[in-house]
Amino acid sequence: MRAFGNRPFVLSLASLVLFFLYAPLLVIVVFSFNDSSYTGLPFNGFTLHWYADLLSNRQIMGSIWNSVYVAVGVVILSVVFGLPAAIALDRYEFPGKGIFRRIVMLPIVLPGIITGVALLSFYLTLNLKLSLHTIMLGQGTALMCITITEVFARLQQMGKSQTEAAVNLGANDWEVFRHVTLPGVRSSLFGAMLISFSISFDEIAVTFLLTGRENTLPMTLWSLLRREVTPEVNAAATLIIAVSVVLIVIGMYASRGKGAAGSEGR
Amino acid sequence: MTTGIELRDLRKRYEGHGGAGSWAVDGVDMQIGRGQFVTLLGPSGCGKTTTLRMIAGFEVPTSGQILRDGVDITDQPVTDREMRMVFQDFALFPNMTVAENVAFGLKTRRMKGRFGAAEMRRRVGEYLDLVHLGTHADKRPHQLSGGQKQRVSLARALITDPDVVLFDEPLGSLDAHLRKVMQIELIRLHRELNKTFIYVTHDQDEAMAMSDAIAVMNGGKVQQFGTPREIYDRPTSRYVAGFIGHAHIVEASVVESGASGLSVRLGNGEVVRLDAPASLQRGEAVGLMLRAEDLSLAKPGDGELHGKVSDSLYRGEYIEYVVDLKGGAGTVHVHEPTHAAPFAHGDDVALKVNPAKAHVVGGA
Repeated sequence: MRAFGNRPFVLSLASLVLFFLYAPLLVIVVFSFNDSSYTGLPFNGFTLHWYADLLSNRQIMGSIWNSVYVAVGVVILSVVFGLPAAIALDRYEFPGKGIFRRIVMLPIVLPGIITGVALLSFYLTLNLKLSLHTIMLGQGTALMCITITEVFARLQQMGKSQTEAAVNLGANDWEVFRHVTLPGVRSSLFGAMLISFSISFDEIAVTFLLTGRENTLPMTLWSLLRREVTPEVNAAATLIIAVSVVLIVIGMYASRGKGAAGSEGR
Repeated sequence: MTTGIELRDLRKRYEGHGGAGSWAVDGVDMQIGRGQFVTLLGPSGCGKTTTLRMIAGFEVPTSGQILRDGVDITDQPVTDREMRMVFQDFALFPNMTVAENVAFGLKTRRMKGRFGAAEMRRRVGEYLDLVHLGTHADKRPHQLSGGQKQRVSLARALITDPDVVLFDEPLGSLDAHLRKVMQIELIRLHRELNKTFIYVTHDQDEAMAMSDAIAVMNGGKVQQFGTPREIYDRPTSRYVAGFIGHAHIVEASVVESGASGLSVRLGNGEVVRLDAPASLQRGEAVGLMLRAEDLSLAKPGDGELHGKVSDSLYRGEYIEYVVDLKGGAGTVHVHEPTHAAPFAHGDDVALKVNPAKAHVVGGA
């Protein structure tokens, strides 16, 4: 295709956007290796000192594991409840289905603080003790809708004839799920799991209100940053960036698989 | 002919918003003999697919009965019916190879133990060969062409040896050439396998070419059920006459009717004689069905009808003339061989009607 528009203008605009997007990340990565206890210039030399500090910082390391624990729990909750909900929405008629379909996105459309307050007062009413598990439950409730909408969209795109063909060939419900439904939605389910994991990992608003004694990583970083930006925080951020990039690459490979499956559906 | 599938006053109503429902299928009675190739033919929305889906068990009839060999199967679940369906969109499982797709019906729990691994492999190979796909066993569906996909879907349906195979517009998404090839393929399979085929299509050529019997449907009802020849030559209603073979219907009234034949008078006073015996009232209004191939053109005075050529279309195999009948009695199309002396726009012509083929349909 022939390029159109003012080429130098487009290029400089694009460069500016990329600069504002990625320069801050780059700064964090660079300073995580800077041999100075202040985040800022001059660059005194390369060191892995802050990474060593990070690994021995029990508060940060503990909260990283807390975050992973919560995020994994959130993903499990989303799949266990979101997948059946999506299938139910796609396949069955039940009272209130229309309303359910429309309000299912509400928890993430609402400001997180509202969802958080609502969940907090609900849990307090039920006399639930605030802990990592209440965070898990709260985020899981809010993020389940990602799995529901992603998988539901894929199911709608698949249509019902594959399912009907399987039933027609004598498959029972479990066999239909195992051989048709699950392979069909696998890539969107995986994508939804990645998204849920990463949103859960850096969620603050809901988490803030539902935290008991133990903190997740964003909460810990936040409280550290209220004092100052320490190089350890930079190191933690750099590690998270690296993990995110890996997750994104995995996600892209997964969605490439989805493209191939999609073309068969045509 | 033993009865295979029998439909008794089958009805299906879909409830719309605010209680406004509509009858998708509105009282269908039909007997389909074992081993027959029966087609449900009609325009979209005529109820043909809903009828097929009720036979398959995907839709629950609002009222009426479905019988199989005399046994009521109206409430039997899909999986217990062991009828196999071939879908318009193929409905292949994209995550499985061709061979795995074909084997699916042998591997379900209800089939467990009926086939050993070696027997299953042999059977898959046999059915892939039956549809000429022996060399494609390890491909994935997305690597196949449309025609090949439908062959896989056929093999998948046939491998469990069902008595009844249902087809929901299976050639609908293929191009014209491939449809012709697949039609011949389906006729061959029907002849070789001796199974009941119930076939849904809106394509009348397809229906005529393949079926033992055709049910022409419209508005949720069967308009006529008969052999392709009966439906084509002796339609019982204006709807069927107009839908099949694009016949033109000219308004007429009965002059004389009896065992030796029938004469009708057109609006312009001209009279046409038909061979078919009839018992109609003198003066009764009828529609005279005139098909293009049952008419021939001649010089004025040389035929029973007269008119003026308004258009001629060169179709390759024949020339199609559009003729306006004298006195505004109607318009007909005539197919003439390409080697015959051509007529031009505005020529006055006479039309000869083949008395053995012309036909009247009742009522106005």
